[in-house]
Amino acid sequence: MAFLSVRGLVVGIGRLTPLDGISFEIGKGEIVGVVGESGSGKSLTAMSVMGLLPLIGGKVKAGAMTFDGIDLLTLPPAGYRALRGKRMALISQNPMTSLDPIIRIGAQIDQMSRLHLGFEAEAAKARSIDLMEQLRIPDAATIYGSYPHQLSGGMKQRIVIAMALAADPDLIIADEPTTALDVTIQAQIIQIMVELVRERGLSLMLVTHDMGVVAQACDRVVVLYAGRVAESNGAGGIFEAPSHPYTRELVRCIPREGQPPGSLKGIPGAVPSVMDYPSGCRFHPRCPEAMPICEASVPALERKTTGLAACHLETVHAHV
Amino acid sequence: MPMSEAAMSDRGETTPESASSAKPMAGDLATIRGLTREYVSSAGLFSMKRTMRAVNDVSLDVPRGKVTGVVGESGCGKSTLARLVLRLIDSTSGTVAVNGVDLGSLTARELRKLRRNMQMVFQDPYSAIDPRYTIRDALLEPFQIQGVGFGAAGPVGAIDELIARVGLSPRLAGSYPHQLSGGQKQRVGIARALALKPSFVVLDEPTASLDVSIQAQIIGLLEQLKHELGLTYLFISHDLSLVRYFCDRIVVMYLGRVVEILPDARARPRHHYSLALMDSHFEPDPKRRKVVTRLAGEIPSPFDLPPGCAFAARCPAATGLCTRERPLLTGDAAGHQAACHHPAG
Repeated sequence: MAFLSVRGLVVGIGRLTPLDGISFEIGKGEIVGVVGESGSGKSLTAMSVMGLLPLIGGKVKAGAMTFDGIDLLTLPPAGYRALRGKRMALISQNPMTSLDPIIRIGAQIDQMSRLHLGFEAEAAKARSIDLMEQLRIPDAATIYGSYPHQLSGGMKQRIVIAMALAADPDLIIADEPTTALDVTIQAQIIQIMVELVRERGLSLMLVTHDMGVVAQACDRVVVLYAGRVAESNGAGGIFEAPSHPYTRELVRCIPREGQPPGSLKGIPGAVPSVMDYPSGCRFHPRCPEAMPICEASVPALERKTTGLAACHLETVHAHV
Repeated sequence: MPMSEAAMSDRGETTPESASSAKPMAGDLATIRGLTREYVSSAGLFSMKRTMRAVNDVSLDVPRGKVTGVVGESGCGKSTLARLVLRLIDSTSGTVAVNGVDLGSLTARELRKLRRNMQMVFQDPYSAIDPRYTIRDALLEPFQIQGVGFGAAGPVGAIDELIARVGLSPRLAGSYPHQLSGGQKQRVGIARALALKPSFVVLDEPTASLDVSIQAQIIGLLEQLKHELGLTYLFISHDLSLVRYFCDRIVVMYLGRVVEILPDARARPRHHYSLALMDSHFEPDPKRRKVVTRLAGEIPSPFDLPPGCAFAARCPAATGLCTRERPLLTGDAAGHQAACHHPAG
């Protein structure tokens, strides 16, 4: 059984249904990328798994969600509180949503092992400094006594990762962890995060819009489009033998090394809004291979030549 | 207009580096020499006034009909440079000449007239268009401000032609910005910039706030427009893969200075910062995963730059010389220039 399993998840906010039947699994020790453009539902999927929907007035309308055999949908708030931080940890895009500006860095990391693992002050401090060193934070003992505002964005994000790791969680959910950072800093942080997750055999759900980061870090990839799963495939399948035209077109939107001028075209049209989703397959108005059936009926997520895809086509051709 | 904003500090001295730079070539649309812009932080109760140079002694030629890319991370001065080049803000020292005319020597009236020929597309299409204007009104505004006629087509025809040129449906002319998607709004931003038929367009991160599938659309459109209208672009971006795809020449900036100029997008960088930027880029190909080792450390504060090479503290090839003496930008016959004491082979 998968470590984290999400099946047919439907989430409503008011009258809208921003998530409409999301299914995917994450195995123990697996790094799974959840990718999509704005409004695809990737961050909302992360919030659903963390049990944070009530914060934004969201409700699970249908589906099933289990984590290590625990039914997350029937879990009472107290049960969720015991999981969050201890067994599943969140790394968000903006480190300041996780850091308290008036508490020293060290005390904030210590808090995790003291609260969740019952560490005493001395042991917690030693553990925090050790973690900071593993995240290659220079002069960790000094930074331990600093306040968040004294650190750069990249350094703050490392502290948030240290906090996420401090209570020895089994699953880390990273929601665009490096989007706000410069490229050289982003590369360092993705590198360190993946190394530490692999060493410890943790599961990582990496929410991102950056296909380069996905190619660099992930074992498997779930591609979301307009609140549904378009494709779920291994990293090799996504980039070399995609099973959904959206995946193929999305990958072709990124200029590769040596790409000839004039060959970058993008996907026509715009990402649809949750207020106004098209019928049938929600990608059909932009799809170069759309058929009459695509407008009429919603394709089921089913096994294809590689991976799973929600598409009426039998096979997707690599080049059109 | 932002051009009325006065320089906030004293004029800096010209350095020998900028004075000795080459004469502009006949094929250059814009010539930038020793361009510097300083900002002074306001003195607080417990802190002294501090000066930073957002753009520091930049000399650069923008060849006609080509795309010159300026790439760098946040705080490198690339957006300040974009604004200085069009004199949307005034420089502390240095000159910008467009078609041989020194922009600094012009009166406000003369400058305004010249602006027809040089336009800018901004990063954020949401704030570049007045929310109370319809798309038609937003596109009419440049003609009204500049007192330019619409030609034989008349106002309706001229606006329809602009809308069609950027690939928008004529039905959208009566819409308001909030009814448009991000990509459509950026197309309006481009149409506005092109309204008065400029020859020089500065693109300041025109796709940074757009989704990947829309970004590629807009880059495709910009390529097509350049081809159709014979435009010259100065393209500002933080995305090296986009710059390598789109640009004929690449200028790499670090902390206000040009550290390298690559004569073509295929050239192998020699400056270790440019190499690190390349090394930090993840190709969309899981067979080409890489171990990122080149760079340690973080970007230093622009208020507190070291005397030598600003990159020395993070550079794998740095020696004592690099911390003492700032390397000058020197080039080869092919026009490849790097400011490095120990350039990579």
